[in-house]
Amino acid sequence: MKSWRAASLAAAAALVVSGCGGTGGGSGNSGDGKGELLVWVDNTRTPAAQQYKKAHPDLKIRIVTIPPEAGYVPTKVSLANRAKSGWPDVVFLTNPAEAATLASEKFGYAAPLDELVPKSVRDGFAPGSLDTCTFGGRTYCLRNDIAPTVLWYDATLMKKYGYQVPKTWADYERTGLKAAKEHPGTIVGAINGKYGAGTYFGSSGCPTRDTLSLTEVDIDLTRKTCTRVADLLQPMARAKAVTTVVPTDPAFAKLGQDDRILMLPGPAWFGDFMFGPAFKIPEGRIAAAPMPTWPGETTSYAGQVGGGAFLVSAHAGDRTEAAADLVRRLTTDVALQAKQPTYPAFTAAAERWGEAKAKDPYYASDPMPALSAAANALRPGFGAVRYEADWQTSFNDTVGRAADSGGNLRKALASWQDKLDAAAETSEYTVG
Amino acid sequence: MRTLSPPRPTTVAAAAPVAPRRHRRRGRSTAAVWILVSPYAVFLTVFGLAPAGYALWTSFVHDGSFSGLRNWAAVFDDYRLGEAAGNVTAYLLLWLPVLLLTVLSLAFTLHARPGRAAGALQLVYYLPGAVTGSAAALLWLFMVSPDSSPFGPLLRLLDVRTATDALSGGSLIAVLAVMGVAVHAGGWIVVLYGALTALPKDVLEAAQVDGASAWRTMWHVKLPMVRTYVAFVLISSFASGSQVFVEPTVLSTGAPGQISPTWSVNQLAYVYATQDGDFGKAAALSLAMLAVGLLAAWIVITRTRMYATDTTKAG
Repeated sequence: MKSWRAASLAAAAALVVSGCGGTGGGSGNSGDGKGELLVWVDNTRTPAAQQYKKAHPDLKIRIVTIPPEAGYVPTKVSLANRAKSGWPDVVFLTNPAEAATLASEKFGYAAPLDELVPKSVRDGFAPGSLDTCTFGGRTYCLRNDIAPTVLWYDATLMKKYGYQVPKTWADYERTGLKAAKEHPGTIVGAINGKYGAGTYFGSSGCPTRDTLSLTEVDIDLTRKTCTRVADLLQPMARAKAVTTVVPTDPAFAKLGQDDRILMLPGPAWFGDFMFGPAFKIPEGRIAAAPMPTWPGETTSYAGQVGGGAFLVSAHAGDRTEAAADLVRRLTTDVALQAKQPTYPAFTAAAERWGEAKAKDPYYASDPMPALSAAANALRPGFGAVRYEADWQTSFNDTVGRAADSGGNLRKALASWQDKLDAAAETSEYTVG
Repeated sequence: MRTLSPPRPTTVAAAAPVAPRRHRRRGRSTAAVWILVSPYAVFLTVFGLAPAGYALWTSFVHDGSFSGLRNWAAVFDDYRLGEAAGNVTAYLLLWLPVLLLTVLSLAFTLHARPGRAAGALQLVYYLPGAVTGSAAALLWLFMVSPDSSPFGPLLRLLDVRTATDALSGGSLIAVLAVMGVAVHAGGWIVVLYGALTALPKDVLEAAQVDGASAWRTMWHVKLPMVRTYVAFVLISSFASGSQVFVEPTVLSTGAPGQISPTWSVNQLAYVYATQDGDFGKAAALSLAMLAVGLLAAWIVITRTRMYATDTTKAG
């Protein structure tokens, strides 16, 4: 009955508040010495961790598989902080923005890795990929995989319609408007949440989450790097050449089944995980091109939508070295990384990973040149922030809503700025 | 027609604390009362009073030292609280009337047409509440996607073309309200149906003999006799609805990044503790929500005579 449910909920809430729930869910304890290394990884990363364990029989390692949901790790660490025990020594983040929470003074969980992982190793990661982990000059995590954006397109449709793959954003806009006019219902992009904000605003270098330190962030949507994106998207939104439907929506999959997705700037993992499995686009049609360029620039800068990272606990004590070694191995071991499903952050591993990708019959042409170019041209200034969730929903509430209702996108930028400022200040940032 | 005063149906007298009767064998009776009440008292203390007391203390502590009203001020100063309170208010305005109408109409229909089907249907009404967690998230995402939902034509009629549409702005509130009704109505239908079956047969027969139609019997005889229960449903639902947490949380696991993690007030309290690492603010907001719940409970106890016993009524 109702009241029982209310009572049990109240009890659960009370447990959360009193911090007694710290060891629930079989997450186990650590921090009590005994030299057992406690490793939390998601399902996808579990085999790699187990392989490391097998290769190190002298080490006592306990691997716990954690759910990939956003917010899970901060929740558990927050409770461990309250209980002053139960921290994992190593943790994998499916949402690297959480590094900003875990490294913050309040959480004090993430250990700086500058001394633990030599600079020569850190330099082997894709340039700029560790920016997500870096606050005030110190590196708090190592990236496992990255999600640079490329311009995915349907080569068969492009050929059929007689279009060229755009090299500049102006070309992209022209092609998009033409496609929407000549082939109604066709789309060339998605502007929703992290897919819109990360792909378009992130690649343009618009400072929406430019972390200067753990407590300072630069947000300035009046810059040209922001307004040029609004101006680009304005006519395309009016012509419905870009959609506000989120790519994970079944309705978006239907666009794919109906041959309506002509181009889709998006992260590297869209190639293997969206076009085939979700959008049901047959083999031999999808190809990748570098992101279009802005006037005055020759580099095809990439935005970022996703990826993962490993952290070492500041509470690991004498297990710190072992924890750092595990993190280093899991992120940089070429053989291990070559087998993982998404684009490796470590450049040498990415090359090996790409050898298989280049021969993948799913793609119309080898996507690796575009992917590796994107990995090497991540637009700087896209940091990990504690207001990641608000960053997404506020984008939808302002820019997304304006795009949907035919409103003015430049005006929407001003509202987005207000919401970002408020979110950043609530997350204890000084907005610069 | 004279409105009948509500009798005390004995079947679903809930877990009401029993008022000790003044009796000759007072000592024995008191002991029995204590034995009956003690399990509840233990649970109330361990899982209710003690945590609430600890939360009260926590709400006045910041960074390990006493900080007065600092946490409380910070909570009421947070822009997210206003947004969340607005969302919850809109949710309540939509959810409560729909829930009440659904519960009343289905319970009365079951009672007007008793038989084997009524029992089976009670179970059917209860079922949606049994689907929880990620299964519920997927189920509801499926339900609000016009291309896959059995309610697709209805959704399109409401200008909902995609799940993204359904989960943004005003439609999100409607989706959550529908979820809330589906999940909560079943339990209340069982309660109200129980109350209806306990109504004195002679009164209903008298109404029938007087030639009252089924509709008039419902409106002028049954409804007045169960109105305490209706008030109980309404006020308890208000208390639980104002604490809405499960529905938006479940839905957002199916559509990551689409629904604000601080959509409702209780979610905000949860985010304080788990994502901001601020247990002081979480405790302050939780206590504020507890006050809302207590107010509703006070109304139930003092205004509906839900817990009135024969003796207190007579006296």
